Amino acid sequence: MDRREAVKSVAFLMGAALSATTIGVFLESCNSPSTSTAGSLFSADQEKLITEVADIIIPTTSTPGAKEAGVGPFIAMMVKDCYPSDAQKAFTKGLEDLEKQSKDTFKKSFLEISVAQRQELLNKVREATIAASKVEKDALEKQQENVVQKKSEKEAPGNAMTPKDKPKTAPQFFAIIRDLTLLGYFTSEIGATKALAYVEIPGRYDGCVDLKPGQKVWA
Amino acid sequence: MSNLNTKATAQNTYDAIVVGSGISGGWAAKELTEKGLKVLLLERGRNVEHIKDYTTAMKKPWEFEHRGRLTEAQKDTHPVQIRDYPYQEYNESFWVNDHDCPYTEVKRFDWYRGFHVGGKSLMWGRQSYRLSDLNFEDNAKDGHGVDWPIRYKDIAPWYDYVEKFAGISGQAENYPHFPDGQFLPPMEMNCVEKDVKKRIEDKWKKSRIMTIGRTANLTVEHGGRGKCQYRNLCSRGCPFGAYFSTQSSTLPAAVATGNLTLRPFSLVNTIIYDKETQKAKGVVVIDSETKETIEYYAKIVFVNGSTLGSTFLLLNSTSDIFPNGLGNGSGELGHNLMDHHFRCGASGRAEGFDDKYTFGRRANGIYIPRYRNIGNDKRDYVRGFGYQGGAGRGNWHADVAELAFGGDFKDQMTVPGAWNMGLGGFGESLPYHENRVYIDKSKKDKWGQPVLAIDCEFKDNEQKMRVDMMNDAAEMLEAAGIKDVHTYDNGSTPGMAIHEMGTARMGHDPKTSVLNKFNQMHEVKNVFVTDGSCMPSAACQNPSLTYMALTARACDFAVNELKKGNL
Repeated sequence: MDRREAVKSVAFLMGAALSATTIGVFLESCNSPSTSTAGSLFSADQEKLITEVADIIIPTTSTPGAKEAGVGPFIAMMVKDCYPSDAQKAFTKGLEDLEKQSKDTFKKSFLEISVAQRQELLNKVREATIAASKVEKDALEKQQENVVQKKSEKEAPGNAMTPKDKPKTAPQFFAIIRDLTLLGYFTSEIGATKALAYVEIPGRYDGCVDLKPGQKVWA
Repeated sequence: MSNLNTKATAQNTYDAIVVGSGISGGWAAKELTEKGLKVLLLERGRNVEHIKDYTTAMKKPWEFEHRGRLTEAQKDTHPVQIRDYPYQEYNESFWVNDHDCPYTEVKRFDWYRGFHVGGKSLMWGRQSYRLSDLNFEDNAKDGHGVDWPIRYKDIAPWYDYVEKFAGISGQAENYPHFPDGQFLPPMEMNCVEKDVKKRIEDKWKKSRIMTIGRTANLTVEHGGRGKCQYRNLCSRGCPFGAYFSTQSSTLPAAVATGNLTLRPFSLVNTIIYDKETQKAKGVVVIDSETKETIEYYAKIVFVNGSTLGSTFLLLNSTSDIFPNGLGNGSGELGHNLMDHHFRCGASGRAEGFDDKYTFGRRANGIYIPRYRNIGNDKRDYVRGFGYQGGAGRGNWHADVAELAFGGDFKDQMTVPGAWNMGLGGFGESLPYHENRVYIDKSKKDKWGQPVLAIDCEFKDNEQKMRVDMMNDAAEMLEAAGIKDVHTYDNGSTPGMAIHEMGTARMGHDPKTSVLNKFNQMHEVKNVFVTDGSCMPSAACQNPSLTYMALTARACDFAVNELKKGNL
């Protein structure tokens, strides 16, 4: 059922409680002005690289992958709009390092190597990211122990109930691109409706239904 | 010239002025207009028209440019609103630009605000619970704050009245200190919740119960409004009118009387006090678009500008008689600020339901009403807490490797994973005199007004309560067979629960309270304050339903007094 039909059928279910204007609003509500900033942070090749990396993270399986869902341009836009400059720099450097690794290892651009070779490279980046995060986490824990000790010696503690700010950690290229690939894919039309199961207007709640074979997670 | 002035005065004169159009202001407008008064409803922000202006309500996930996330530019202009989850791309236009309306945090206080017609009634959590005599008597019994000037019997018929109109779905439980109401059919629990409920109630022999959340979402068509469509997108505004808001419910009723004038972009700066009559004669409004100043006059003024908004207005309304704020002879105005403390509890994994799933997105959870410090139960703190929570099944799988990627990982993410069940406590905080707000003249807002300084913190009683809030949650989940139960305390700072209240409290004694038992100012008889600022204690229940009931009750009293010639 397409969107227009869905809206109409809901209006019908509601005893035509919705006026024609209301239905108009339903159908036209997606035309609000863009809050995105103009231009791109990335070169055309880098944007291609982003798209290919995303398609390794979420490849085509029985359902389409990240490339088909338009996740590459989404990631480029998100890094520009929604990340501070240090994360943007880390992201750009991550792209450059990945390309360099590809040339060092395979004598070719990441855009020219095979899927298996891309997977191999990304797995290395993934492992390095996990290792770097662990080193950082251990250092932070040590630092916090010291802070707690110092505070108990010198200062009165602040209000114990106040939420602690998350410690600032160095932004990691792979963690960002993976996070944005998952977000961009599973909220895309393809991801939400093909990889997941999307019901725009469920109309009811059933708290206990039998899980049917092949049932996807609700988007 | 004097003729012109008289004419202008007449044009700007109403029977009643209502300041603020959120949950309580909408009720005041409805009740007063239905009783025949000509009412001017003043709202500092823009108009938001029902349905038409819910511009994101029907958007699909992929139609949001940033898929719900905030841009760096939005984070820059909303440094307070970003501290917790409510401000997102989905309804970003409903939250204030913090730079326009700064305040001073003597201690951290997260002040979430929405300046538009409907106020926070558009974004509220909709959980609706009655207070009971346990709550109305706590202050008198343990000596914190002042005694509530009312008891349950005084407000019970008004709870009935507002519930019937607002439409509250829920399950009657006949459980002590947790009064039942005029409920629409309850929403359904899912199979894990049903099992957890049974096991908790068996283990504690119904001295603890778990019920479906009582929520202002319609489970059946009600009052010309559509029923809930189980989209769980409420905070964008509901195009079906399926939850209570000013726009869906009270405003249309007020408009239908023909007695309402709604004026958006009207920031009420002061209430004008008339020494001769010893009453308020009107308000000074700053047009928030043009910054022009206008006076409006009325026989009665209802102050419903949100707890801290209303308190600012009263503190800012100074005169020879009231140099410290209107009706502030007690000195209590601005004091006794409370909020609920929360963000702690426990959660874990439910086993045995892998062959079950849900359909629809239920914008509601479960509720466990307060059971602590009741009867023979005595803790090392006073008062208590309730739990909200629920069970759900997403795409979480225990065996996914850190930072996993690739085809197998992708496919696994599309298969329903483990069921999880969580309980999060909402705890009562005490009315400490030193938790207060006052006017700070060292800063100005966009409209040239001084700002509010907020000096508020949780203390030992709340801290001690949190130990139980965590451990009891874990104990109940474990008793219910939940696996891998872990407790959490993510910290809680006043303001975060968006249940701020108490800064213009009701009480018997004009020396220690600002309002009497009808929310009428002790010292200025034609001014009524019926939002969260009136609360002598916070209880642990979500408070908005009580504001509705107190407002309807105060309107009834005010109009009777007006008819008797007492105002």
